[in-house]
Amino acid sequence: MRLEDHPIVEFKRGKEVTIYFNGKPIKAYEGETVASALYAAGVRTFSRSFRFHRPRGFFCAIGKCSSCLMEVDGIPNIRVCKVYVKDGMQVRTQNSFPNADNDLLGVLDSIIDRFYPHGSHYKKFNRPRILREFITKRVRGFAGTGNPPKKVFEGEASFEEIETDLAVVGGGPAGMSAAIFAAKAGARVILMDENPFLGGQLVKQTHRFFGSGRHRAGTRGIRIATILADEIKELKNIDVRFETKVFGIYDGIVGAVEKEKKLLRIKPKKIVVATGAYERTLIFENNDLPGVYGAGGVQTLMNVYGIKPGNKGLIVGSGNVGLILTYQLMQAGVKVAAIVEAMPRIGGYFVHAAKVRRLGVPIYTSYTIQRAIGKKKVEAAEIVKLDENWCPVKGSEKRIECDFICIAIGLSPTHELLYQAGCEMKFVPELGGLVPVRNKYGETTVEGVYVAGDVAGIEEATAAMMEGRIAGIDAAIKIGYGGDEALKIREEVVRDLKEFREGPFGARIVAGLQKVTMEEGGA
Amino acid sequence: MKIAIIGSGIVGLSAAYNLANSAEVIVFERRYPLYGSSGRNSGGITPMLGSKELIELAKKSIRIYDSVQGEVNFNFLLRKDGYLKVAKNDADLDELEKEYHLQKSMGVKVREVDPYEIKNMVQGFNPKSVEGGFFGEGGVIFPWPVIWGYEKGCKERGVEIKPMTQVSEVVVEGGEVKGLKANGEFYKADFVVNAAGAWSNEISKLAGVELNNTIIKEEICVLESLKPFIDPYILNVSNGVYLSQSARGEVVGGILGKEVSNPETSSSLDFLIKYAKRAVEMIPSLKGLSVLRQWAGVYDSGKDGLPVIGETNVKGFIQANGLGKYGMTIGPAAGELVAEVILKGKTYDKFSPERF
Ligand SMILES: Cc1cc2nc3c(=O)[nH]c(=O)nc-3n(C[C@H](O)[C@H](O)[C@H](O)COP(=O)(O)OP(=O)(O)OC[C@H]3O[C@@H](n4cnc5c(N)ncnc54)[C@H](O)[C@@H]3O)c2cc1C
Ligand SMILES: Cc1cc2nc3c(=O)[nH]c(=O)nc-3n(C[C@H](O)[C@H](O)[C@H](O)COP(=O)(O)OP(=O)(O)OC[C@H]3O[C@@H](n4cnc5c(N)ncnc54)[C@H](O)[C@@H]3O)c2cc1C
Ligand code: FES
Repeated sequence: MRLEDHPIVEFKRGKEVTIYFNGKPIKAYEGETVASALYAAGVRTFSRSFRFHRPRGFFCAIGKCSSCLMEVDGIPNIRVCKVYVKDGMQVRTQNSFPNADNDLLGVLDSIIDRFYPHGSHYKKFNRPRILREFITKRVRGFAGTGNPPKKVFEGEASFEEIETDLAVVGGGPAGMSAAIFAAKAGARVILMDENPFLGGQLVKQTHRFFGSGRHRAGTRGIRIATILADEIKELKNIDVRFETKVFGIYDGIVGAVEKEKKLLRIKPKKIVVATGAYERTLIFENNDLPGVYGAGGVQTLMNVYGIKPGNKGLIVGSGNVGLILTYQLMQAGVKVAAIVEAMPRIGGYFVHAAKVRRLGVPIYTSYTIQRAIGKKKVEAAEIVKLDENWCPVKGSEKRIECDFICIAIGLSPTHELLYQAGCEMKFVPELGGLVPVRNKYGETTVEGVYVAGDVAGIEEATAAMMEGRIAGIDAAIKIGYGGDEALKIREEVVRDLKEFREGPFGARIVAGLQKVTMEEGGA
Repeated sequence: MKIAIIGSGIVGLSAAYNLANSAEVIVFERRYPLYGSSGRNSGGITPMLGSKELIELAKKSIRIYDSVQGEVNFNFLLRKDGYLKVAKNDADLDELEKEYHLQKSMGVKVREVDPYEIKNMVQGFNPKSVEGGFFGEGGVIFPWPVIWGYEKGCKERGVEIKPMTQVSEVVVEGGEVKGLKANGEFYKADFVVNAAGAWSNEISKLAGVELNNTIIKEEICVLESLKPFIDPYILNVSNGVYLSQSARGEVVGGILGKEVSNPETSSSLDFLIKYAKRAVEMIPSLKGLSVLRQWAGVYDSGKDGLPVIGETNVKGFIQANGLGKYGMTIGPAAGELVAEVILKGKTYDKFSPERF
């Protein structure tokens, strides 16, 4: 299932290694995640659900959904979409017997709910006491997903304390731009991203960018990522930490784990949070079946690791992401059975829709997915027409043959760090969900904590870069760098961004921003 | 008779539950019923405690837990797989031994265990990390269903529970309680019960009564869920680290808290670092596992380590606080005492608000 040739991306695979899946050898290449290597080898069920032992495949491929927890080298509960293969690695399924693919406990799925519906472990079998105590013991027997650790983790563990001017969380276009502009003004910067590369969502964007000419429209997303990454390499005062996950901001102290083995305790003067967004999921029958993926998950698999997600897909959602993904799939030689869109019209830009139509992919508007069909993985999907009140029209069900389903219904800001840091948050539908209150430079209600990019409101890469620049340079100015020149640049970018949003697609964003932007000064 | 209870933690709710059949009871809760320590604790339950009074309350509370679960038809997921206190040095071990003799004399089931016995009891335990310990009756309860269950029982008995209702004034006239004000409204009451946990000092001030409970902040975290492998609740008395495994398989653990001047529940990175070190020293196979969540809670303790339960010099203003680090262990019995104070005018010297 590995893509050998692709019209745009060239896959430079690393050294060939062997990993073991439930004891069986599997070929993989250095630089691949365990999830993608398993996927390429045809593994679809990665884990079993906690309660009913339903089969689970990967969904997000970016470490956010927990449906890929496995045991790696004896250590339980590892997100295999975020762990890179090593020669001789032992990977096992957990919470299943004898293994996740053929889980005998899976029968629970069909019978347990009849006798023991959710929440009933509190409400049933409480009298007499003997029965209650017996049931309590049984409940415990079923508890737990991972196996107890079989051996002591052998990796090294170390600790580093870092004092610096600016800590940037997230190396997408927003974070990279913040780092570059702060560093150019003279600040010392640490830039952290959980991936082994910079670029964030951009690395999946093999298409030419939309947006205005001045802002690199026409350039492919992956190319923009490279340009920014090269610029960062030149700046000696940016310390880039790859595979570094920031897990908390504690009263100005940033906690992170580097390469699964080093704990970082960072004391910066300012912080920019540019963690981007994650994909929303959709509720329908069997939506957890392996083969139901987030659009970004599929993009990651295909455009980053060069692995085909399947042979024929159904795309749910006709926004730009759904449309772009459709032709990216076709480019890679994967068929797209159809696109379904719940709204009466197509969500994305006309040019993208026209291109998809030319390729012969039907777009069903006013349709939604009703269920995924299949036992252990997707074998087909059932879609249904919606009436004006968004209710399914009886008799309009259609079966669509496909072996995977992509959910492309939009993104939500990855806001958790901001919430944890104590920033005041607001739910703003125009910006995609919960976003922080901030001033026009991106500083939140927690002094010294800035936001930029999709986490500040779902928009697109051009705006993300500009927001990053503003946050980065404002942070540098507040620390005391840059002088008048920096002030001038800051105001220029603020103006640029305002202009950029004056287009027809900016209106919604501007309306959203009005709800969360504080007057002058702010925090 | 009208009774207003401030705080819907274990103490407030168990008092309400015991008063419900004899009075009209309203429970006022500033936030929601799991907001206080009763929704944030690690659920360790044992009569292996250090004083006669606490041991009695604990034994009684375990009996109450057993019967209340049936009465309210709710499973608190109480798992009696034992309680293990370990010590890293002789001085602490001697202290545990003193407690042990007291516990024995009061009929608590407890025995001394050496590091190698502990190793057989707990998979992966490092015998070199401790000098010794004591193992006895007790175990782990899941605090959420305890609170939900008591809430259910209270409501069935006619108690009104008001979430998001902050008490801002205790109305006292001529040395006697008349009621309280919450969310701007006046509620008449013959008795006002101060069961506000870490906020009890503040509430007491509202009634013009001095209360100097120690406020303690404690941090805690859980690891990603694993199949059951740790049965007892383990507390290391030398460095304060404790852990157990919940009904969901999550390893829940923390470090005994420290005194703070104000109730505040922020979490810290330093806690995670300390906890990781101490927990891994005790059970090395925990190394490499992921932390799922962390949080903090605040509770209050009477200055001498015993709860504060009884009527104050303001008639009708009742203290029901200061339960300290064993609040879940003694809460149900403490609530019964509060009912006795109100309904029968009882006093308990050891717990009296006047004892300081
Ligand atoms: C299919 C698709 C097509 C698109 N097409 C276009 C287009 O044509 N034109 C356009 O302008 N925009 C387009 N976009 C949008 C654009 O990609 C995003 O708006 C942009 O990437 C947002 O940038 P960002 O820096 O805010 O976030 P991201 O690019 O999402 O980067 C965030 C980074 O932070 C990292 N991170 C998150 N949390 C942590 C943590 N706790 N610790 C460490 N690292 C963390 C993430 O791994 C990620 O690398 C498209 C998006 C999609 C999905
Ligand atoms: C991390 C941690 C671990 C612990 N582990 C254990 C353990 O293993 N075993 C054990 O026995 N104990 C343990 N404890 C201690 C135990 O949780 C507490 O002693 C107990 O929960 C206290 O109960 P409470 O009802 O007194 O207070 P709380 O449960 O704190 O309830 C007080 C309530 O009063 C409300 N309130 C405050 N002010 C007002 C106002 N003005 N108006 C209205 N309402 C108000 C609060 O919102 C709160 O809900 C632990 C505590 C913590 C924090
Ligand atoms: S966390 Fe790995 S697929 Fe989502």
